[in-house]
Amino acid sequence: MRVRLTLALYDRPGVLLRALQEIAVNGGNIISIIHRRDRITSGYVPVSINVEFPDAASLDRAKMGIEGAGIPVIEAETLEKAITTMIIVGCVDVETLLKRVQELGSRVAALSMTGGAASPCLKLVVETPSGKLRPLVDVLEKLAEEWNALLITEG
Amino acid sequence: MIKCIIVGYGFLGKRLARELAAGKIAGVKLAGIASSKGYIYRADGLAHEDLPERIDRARGFEEAPASEMIRRELADLLVELTPTNIESGEPGLSHIRQALEEGMDVVTANKGPIALAFEELSSLAEERGSLLLYEATVGGGIPLISLQKRCLMADELLSLRGILNGTTNYILSRMHFEEMTFELALREAQMLGIAERDPTLDLEGVDTALKLLILANSLMGLRKKLSEVKIRGITKVTSEAIAAAKESGMTIKLIGVVGENGLSVAPRLIRLNDPLCVHGTLNAVNFNHRILGNLTIIGEGAGESTVSALLNDIYEVVRARSRRL
Repeated sequence: MRVRLTLALYDRPGVLLRALQEIAVNGGNIISIIHRRDRITSGYVPVSINVEFPDAASLDRAKMGIEGAGIPVIEAETLEKAITTMIIVGCVDVETLLKRVQELGSRVAALSMTGGAASPCLKLVVETPSGKLRPLVDVLEKLAEEWNALLITEG
Repeated sequence: MIKCIIVGYGFLGKRLARELAAGKIAGVKLAGIASSKGYIYRADGLAHEDLPERIDRARGFEEAPASEMIRRELADLLVELTPTNIESGEPGLSHIRQALEEGMDVVTANKGPIALAFEELSSLAEERGSLLLYEATVGGGIPLISLQKRCLMADELLSLRGILNGTTNYILSRMHFEEMTFELALREAQMLGIAERDPTLDLEGVDTALKLLILANSLMGLRKKLSEVKIRGITKVTSEAIAAAKESGMTIKLIGVVGENGLSVAPRLIRLNDPLCVHGTLNAVNFNHRILGNLTIIGEGAGESTVSALLNDIYEVVRARSRRL
C-alpha cells in the first residue's frame, strides 16, 4: 500500500535519518521525500514522504517507531484508491449524493443517467481510498433506502 | 433392508419414488408415500406399478396424517419433501423432529426446517445417533454440503458468495441477453414452469437467504437466523440498470454473501468474466478457504438434478447403516 506520511521534523542533523530508519526496518520502500525548509515553524520542518508499505500492519509499526523516536506524525494518507462502479435505480437527489461521496473522502470519476423520468438509472464510477469503500456503501445504502431506490454495488 | 418412506408427493416425491421403487439403490425399499391427503404403506415395499399419480386414489390409501407412518417400527428412513414454509417450517419441521425422536434417519430437500431449526435438529440427530442429511436443500444436485463436509473438512471456510436461485438467475439472464423487461422475463419464466405462480419468495431474495443460512450454519458453524440476513430482491432491477452494467463489462445477479459483513442477499454487479457469472437457471457458488483459496462450483440448482442429491444422501444412509452393523 502506498502512503504519504507527513512528519514534523525538528531542524537538527540526523532527525530525518532516524525517521527513515523506522520506515526501512518495517519494510517501507521510499518513493519520494519532499523537505519543506521554506515552511519552518517554531524550529520544525514539514516533510512529506511517499512510501510503499507491504501492508497496513507495517505502516502502523513504522508510525509507532517514528513517534517513539519523538518525531510527530502529522498525517498518514493512503494514496491507493479503489475504483468501483455502482448503479442506483430510482429517483435520486444527485446533489446530496455527490456531497456525501465527497464528505467520505471519495471522488466521483464518472456519472451517467439513463431511463429518463419514467425509469431513472444512475451509474457512478467512484474512486475510494483504501478502507473507505464499506463506510461509503453503508451511507449510500441508507440514502437509497430514504429515496426508495435500489443501490447495486460490485460484489 | 432399509425401509424408506417419502412424505411429500409432488414433483420430487414422485420422481424419487420411481427411482426407489425401481431398486436404484440396493438395500433400500420404498415402504410408504404420503401427501397432505393421507398415505399408502406396504411393509414389503411398493413396486413401480403401485405408485399412483394421486395418492388418494391409490389402493390401500389411508386418509390420515403422514405422522402416523413416521414410526420406527414402520420405517428406518424418512425422506421429507413437503413444501417449504418459511414462517414455521411446518409440517416438515414436525415430521423431521418426530422421525429423529423415533431414531430414524432423515433425508430432506425441505429448506424451511433446516434453515429455521438447524441447531435443534442437528443436536437431536446427534443425541439419537441418527443421520440428518440435507444436501438437496441448497443448489439442487450440486454437492455443496458434502463437498465441504467430506472433501474439505480440514480446511476452514472463511467466506462464500453465490447465485443460489435459478428463477431469478433466469430472469436476469433474459434481461441481459434479450434486453427484456423484468415483467416480460418473469412472465416467460412462469410460462416455462421455471418461476412459480407466486414467485415472491424467489424474487424477494428469501429463497436465496434460506439457502445461505443453511450453508452458513451448517458449514461455517454460525448460528444465524433469517432475521439477521440483509435481504433485497430483484423486483426493482430495470432494463436500464442491466444496460448500464453491460456497458461496463458487467451484469446484475442476485448474490448471496456470507462474509465479514455478515449475511446478505442483494442484486450485485459482477464482471462477465467472473467465474460466478453463470446464466439461465444455473447456480454457482464460490467458496473461499483459508488454505485452498477460491473454489467455484457450478450446476443446475433445481428440478430433476435435486433427485441426484436425494439419492446420494439416501446412499449415504445405506453406507452409514452398513458401518453400524
